[in-house]
Amino acid sequence: MSKDWLNVFIGAFFEILWVIGMKHSQNWLELLLTAVAIVLSFYFLIKAGESIPVGTSYAVFVGLGTAGTVFTGILLFGEPFKVTKILLVFILLAGVMGLKMVTREKGASEK
Amino acid sequence: MSWFYLIIAGIFEMLGVGSISQFNQKKNFSSLIWLISVFSGSFIFLYFAMRVLPMGISYAIWTGIGAAGGAILGMIFYGESKDWRRIACIAIILGSVIGLKLIG
Repeated sequence: MSKDWLNVFIGAFFEILWVIGMKHSQNWLELLLTAVAIVLSFYFLIKAGESIPVGTSYAVFVGLGTAGTVFTGILLFGEPFKVTKILLVFILLAGVMGLKMVTREKGASEK
Repeated sequence: MSWFYLIIAGIFEMLGVGSISQFNQKKNFSSLIWLISVFSGSFIFLYFAMRVLPMGISYAIWTGIGAAGGAILGMIFYGESKDWRRIACIAIILGSVIGLKLIG
């Protein structure tokens, strides 16, 4: 996996953390960590934008952030399990993989 | 009024996506200030919208405008690929995100 895509994935990971943090923070330390996660998620998103089209990396960033939030919501925070949710997450991940494949082809042929 | 705030937030988010391209092209102080300003605007208006509107709907519309608008801006102003497969994949991701937020 190229470093640019790794940046998108790390950015999305921090996005999941801050979304959880915003919902569940109970003290100043947790709020501070949430703020740090926001800054880091943007840092990695911007870093990824150096070589991946931002329209692409932003869509993946938001998509993975949402998928991760759905999963952690069900697994860790007792939100209701719905088949539709899982189905949509799989469609979403298919979109992410498709986007990754299309982008690499383009990057290779255009550079 | 909260719907108006929500749309403003979406437009700020769309500009935010554009501002990342801008910043990566010209890494200077004014690009950075622009980037921070538009994303701050986006979060502030989203916050005001969410005080009245349901969170799922607000988030879905906000990301929808931000990501779709950002991709369109990228294609028009920053020379990003107009490959139909790319557009289709972005649409699939966005459609799923909006669906998840609406049923969530």
